[in-house]
Amino acid sequence: MHTILAVDDSASMRQMVSFTLKSAGYQVVEAVDGIDAYEKAGKGDFQLVLTDQNMPRMDGISLVRKLRDNPKFRSTPILVLTTESGDQMKQAGRAAGATGWLVKPFDPAKLIEVIGKVLR
Amino acid sequence: MAESTSSPTAGHAGIDLSQFYQVFFEEAGENLEQMEQMLLGLDVAAADDETLNAIFRCAHSVKGGAATFGFADVAELTHQMETLLDKLRRHELAPTAPMVDVLLQSGDALKAQLARHQGQDGASVDTRQLLATMRTLAEGRDAQAPKAPAPAAPAAAPAAAAGDSGLRALEITVGPLERPEQADQLAELFREITDLGSIEPLDAGQAADGMRRYKVQTRSNDDELLDLFGFHIAREQIRIAPLGPGYGFHRGAPGAPREEPAAADPGYGFFADAPGAPGAAAGAAAGSAQAPAATGAPAPRAEVRAAGGESSTLRVSVEKVDQLINLVGELVITQAMLAQNGKALAGSSTLQALANGLADLERNTRDLQEAVMSIRMIPMSLVFNRFPRMLRDLAAKLGKKVELVTQGEATELDKGMVEKITDPLTHLVRNSCDHGIELPAERLARGKPEHGTITLVASHQGGSIVIEVRDDGKGLDRARLLAKARERGIAAPDSLADAEVWSLIFAPGFSTAEQVTDVSGRGVGMDVVKKNITALGGSVEIDSAAGYGMSVKVRLPLTLAIMDGMSVGVGDECYILPLGSVVESFQVRPGMVRTIGGSGRVVQVRDEYLPVVDLERVFAVPRFDYEHASDIMVVVESDGARIALLVDELLGQQQVVVKNLEANYRKVPDVSGATIMGDGRVALILDVGSLVRRSRH
Repeated sequence: MHTILAVDDSASMRQMVSFTLKSAGYQVVEAVDGIDAYEKAGKGDFQLVLTDQNMPRMDGISLVRKLRDNPKFRSTPILVLTTESGDQMKQAGRAAGATGWLVKPFDPAKLIEVIGKVLR
Repeated sequence: MAESTSSPTAGHAGIDLSQFYQVFFEEAGENLEQMEQMLLGLDVAAADDETLNAIFRCAHSVKGGAATFGFADVAELTHQMETLLDKLRRHELAPTAPMVDVLLQSGDALKAQLARHQGQDGASVDTRQLLATMRTLAEGRDAQAPKAPAPAAPAAAPAAAAGDSGLRALEITVGPLERPEQADQLAELFREITDLGSIEPLDAGQAADGMRRYKVQTRSNDDELLDLFGFHIAREQIRIAPLGPGYGFHRGAPGAPREEPAAADPGYGFFADAPGAPGAAAGAAAGSAQAPAATGAPAPRAEVRAAGGESSTLRVSVEKVDQLINLVGELVITQAMLAQNGKALAGSSTLQALANGLADLERNTRDLQEAVMSIRMIPMSLVFNRFPRMLRDLAAKLGKKVELVTQGEATELDKGMVEKITDPLTHLVRNSCDHGIELPAERLARGKPEHGTITLVASHQGGSIVIEVRDDGKGLDRARLLAKARERGIAAPDSLADAEVWSLIFAPGFSTAEQVTDVSGRGVGMDVVKKNITALGGSVEIDSAAGYGMSVKVRLPLTLAIMDGMSVGVGDECYILPLGSVVESFQVRPGMVRTIGGSGRVVQVRDEYLPVVDLERVFAVPRFDYEHASDIMVVVESDGARIALLVDELLGQQQVVVKNLEANYRKVPDVSGATIMGDGRVALILDVGSLVRRSRH
């Protein structure tokens, strides 16, 4: 059983992502921003992190950078799910060490497919 | 030259072969030069196959050209060289120093002959001694001192005694058989397999004891014969015994000029019972072979070109041209890179001039590229004009009447391609004449004109050139092809579609007849024809109507160096699709793709279901950006079958400079080559044919 850390400052978005992931058989832990996520990540055992980009206190790319600095998360897949679709932002995410970039609005089936592929 | 010329093979109406002499002389000169270099470098004690093959090819090419253009003395000498070299490359004989000597001397003689044909002064060349020496050596015996000046007599002496090594006369007894006519199938075998030899019934085929007896002349050993006969008659019912010398295959009386035994070298003698065929063939061959150069062979003498004509062409080495083409390729890439960076400038008015300059550069680069590429393009007439002569001789030997019609000779093709397509085309034309066109009497009986027609058509179709070889002969026989396929152990159910039945003739080992001819073709089967064409990136299509004839269409890319491509993005990579294979593209909508049989996926396009090939999965493409993952499908076509490729986005159409991947890296499945994109990245060129085949499994 894989456990996923889902990070988003929007409650409705968190709900929707959680619902989608749970219905696909994953366990989900939610976090509201980068700082919350980094704290929870330190305590739990996560096989994948799915994070929004634009969040208060700490954004997604900063979270990715911070997680990659921690040996525990050096090879954990981290997907960014965001409304940002500009090439520059994508490249910044890639440089920070994100595994993949998904753009909102998302198709639940596609999200599950991508997560399945990344976890395989 | 006219777009369409019709030339009865009996003459060369409409075609002046002399316009090609110059090319032939240049070609022959190069070949002789190469041969000499290789002979000089040949280590007799440890000759490698590569070199022996290369030397053979040199002699073979010169012979082919000489026979085509009617230089009988050159053809005669090269034929004898080729015979000796053929035995060397097949390891039937080991190379010796005397062999190298005589081959070198023959090369000198050829140069002298060619110089004479080019109108230069010089004594006529007496090649009798050389011919005799080579014949002797080819038979595996020591030559007598080759230096001795050779009056007419010695030429005949060794030959008359020689007989023909390896040829055996046998008596084959078959039976007892329930149906004695089963034995006739053996005779059929000899008709089908050219190099097998000859067969004649003894006892008029009606012996009292119910056994059938045949007199057979063959080079094959007993086991090979039994294996072959085994297809028709049980081995234990066949007995093979040597035949007494009384049956005289040494027909030449002592001292008489050597006669080519018809059985030993049947040439075109597929239809042994054709009126006049075997006798005429042997006679004609002997006739030309015996015409000594000394008596002034009626070979045509090339006109010395007028000074004005010479200055209009410039000979440069192919390497120089290729280097130029490579540089232009690099220029195209640089230009594309500038154009890409320049796009960002187009909006700013201060930089408008620079943008204009870049647009000019693009146009000039394209023009320059086309001009440079055209240096390598030569008209198809160079290939087509070999055929009237070849067909004339072949038709005469077979006792057939054949007219050759050629269309589109002005169509241009890359030089490298022309060189490689000549042999396969020659084979196809020979095939049409051999097996397609019927004998005159048969044609008349079927209500057809006495003259068969073979039509050669070259034309541009899209980015390809299509060469069609068409005849109005008897066409392919579905039932016979199926039967023959099964005999050879090829799965051939009756349910096969016509097109699939026709393509059986391309199966390896299907046409095993080894035919040795004056013009070309030692042991080239239809499978080799197909293989060679496929290797050029081409394809072959057959169409046939029983009783009306058949058509073989060869489709080739114009050049191997440049290709029109469509670039597509997949994950982090970019791939090139050959533009000619792209049919259409569309956006993928949810629910469009259906899964069948577990893992197979199809998409409905109008009233057709196409297999879906996910390029990301096929090439295990890494991916960071999932925004447009597999949003687009591109429908591509190959060999009449279509598939839908899943890609992220269409990046654009462009000419790409094809780089050979195998030469620079290694063979990669489903990839036909690579190119360098405007941004400097390497993109793989997809092998659509291979992807289509993959989708069928």
